[in-house]
Amino acid sequence: MPWNPGDDVISVQRGPRPGGAGGAYRAFGETLRGLKTTFARVLEGPITIQYPEEKVPVYPRFRGRHRLHRFEDTGLEKCVGCSLCAAACPADCIRVVAAENTPELRVSAGERYAAVYEINLSRCIFCGYCEVACPFDAITMGNDYEMSDYNRSDLIFTKEMLLAEPFDRAPLRAEGE
Amino acid sequence: MSTPTRPPTTRPTPYREMEESIDLSAQLQHVPAVGGAEQELLTLNMGPHHPATHGVLRLLVTLEGEVVRDLKPIIGYVHTGIEKTAEDKSYWKVIPIVERMDYLAYYFNAMAFCGATETLLGLEVPKRAQYLRVLHLELNRIMSHLVWLGTSALDLGAISMFWYCFRERETILDIFEMSSGQRMHTRYIQVGGVIDDIPAGFEEKVRAFCAVMPERIEQYGDLLNKNEIVLRRLRNVCPLDEATLLELGVTGPLLRAAGNPWDLRKAMPYSSYEDFDFQIPVGTVGDNYDRYVVRLAEMKESVKIVEQALDGLPEGPFITEDRKVALPPRHELATSMEALIHHFKLVTEGFRVPPGEVYYPIEGPRGELGCFVRSDGSSKPARVHMRDPSFVNLQATAPMVRDAYIADLIATLAMLDPILGGIDR
Ligand code: SF4
Ligand code: SF4
Repeated sequence: MPWNPGDDVISVQRGPRPGGAGGAYRAFGETLRGLKTTFARVLEGPITIQYPEEKVPVYPRFRGRHRLHRFEDTGLEKCVGCSLCAAACPADCIRVVAAENTPELRVSAGERYAAVYEINLSRCIFCGYCEVACPFDAITMGNDYEMSDYNRSDLIFTKEMLLAEPFDRAPLRAEGE
Repeated sequence: MSTPTRPPTTRPTPYREMEESIDLSAQLQHVPAVGGAEQELLTLNMGPHHPATHGVLRLLVTLEGEVVRDLKPIIGYVHTGIEKTAEDKSYWKVIPIVERMDYLAYYFNAMAFCGATETLLGLEVPKRAQYLRVLHLELNRIMSHLVWLGTSALDLGAISMFWYCFRERETILDIFEMSSGQRMHTRYIQVGGVIDDIPAGFEEKVRAFCAVMPERIEQYGDLLNKNEIVLRRLRNVCPLDEATLLELGVTGPLLRAAGNPWDLRKAMPYSSYEDFDFQIPVGTVGDNYDRYVVRLAEMKESVKIVEQALDGLPEGPFITEDRKVALPPRHELATSMEALIHHFKLVTEGFRVPPGEVYYPIEGPRGELGCFVRSDGSSKPARVHMRDPSFVNLQATAPMVRDAYIADLIATLAMLDPILGGIDR
């Protein structure tokens, strides 16, 4: 052997040979011991979560459905249509078309705004790179994890859908809980 | 056989006669009679959708009665083209993609790829990041072994094991969600370190898990180790000696079960594994029973490593401070123009990697997981290849199960623990 691991090796214990008198004992004795282990677990109580009624709260870092944000004071959109999120997306599922803000139509705080902002959630892999990439905290990963739908086309989320307040279905754990 | 002449058009084609005129007896393989009964070889197609193949693996089994005489694994049913896709993405965008190869060892996939990239870059990873990586890698190893144990026991007919294992797995996935935001495919490991430091309350959670896990492993042992059915199904079933395993390139718990203590964490330490005190469990015979106990013992060792990683977690940055590679901290974006420029550059183009090629092997839960990266100097890898242990280990199926019963084939396949996402890539 070209490499000697020294004392760092432990041999595992092999079980006894099956069959014979020992086997006859084990068929009852060991089975009973196993049953003891099983029945002792009954005292621990069930850990099942009754899912649709009862939801597992998510952690603050959880990456659920995306959300776009507005400034709270002015109501303007934070997104300036810079397309950095689209550039960062490994699944290429973000589409941003930017347009200039005009004095009559001021949508975002910056020079430009996203005229079209779409995320194809059926392609998204929830890596969260868009959130990492956005320099203005305009897009974040929300808490919603119930996103199934009957049509693929319904999974293309538009800017309005992403800006809207979610139904807030997923409970959130407090920091450090 | 003479070429059939075209029959007169008035009569329908005499298919029946044509069929019966062909003599197939020469092609049928007759094998010596066993117990007075004539036996014929039967070729049976198992899978690709079969619950016992642990994925979409198709097995072409040649059976003589109930005895397996030959076996051919056919793969490719979940081919994803991930290696090719990786050539099209900048380095940091490859990480969430390679994670999805072996879907039970996502931290390992990311670690192998990031390790290879860091080697090419000549990048020093901060100590804290290395410890955090080890912590998550070992939790991932326990998680992967728990899935293996649960599903394998299920194959042997022990359903409660499945619930117990998935209960503990749930705890680990919760821990993953806490630190990285996702239960699977966490993209926690990044080139140069990890994406974020562990949150408050994380340590207590991991400590609580480490406190109960050894006891849980004891309970698994109580249920299975001396159970007569398990012994009969596993002990001395389908052994394969060390020399054959080495010839086939088999690594990981399968090789260690045959008595060879080859473990890359000890043999070629990476990511500070040399700081940790743990042992390599080895078996003796290399039968299914050894494969089972070796993995059970490995889980215990992994718990020890996780505890040591928490105890010795050094202070310091969790990702390299090299702004050419790692994204600047978020709070700098609002204040520093330079940080903003780096951020833009890294997100849009990514970092450039000097030309060269590297092979970076780590010890995955199933064996040597190596990542080969070839760089042409641009910001996208020219080639990414994973040496996936499941793929190489799968070759050992045929020599293992030859002349064994078909029921033992199921048990052996379970103990082999192939992950088809990793095999097909
Ligand atoms: S989470 Fe990842 S895949 Fe989904 S939109 Fe954001 S960057 Fe793209
Ligand atoms: S969400 Fe952020 S990164 Fe994406 S276009 Fe808007 S401002 Fe740019």
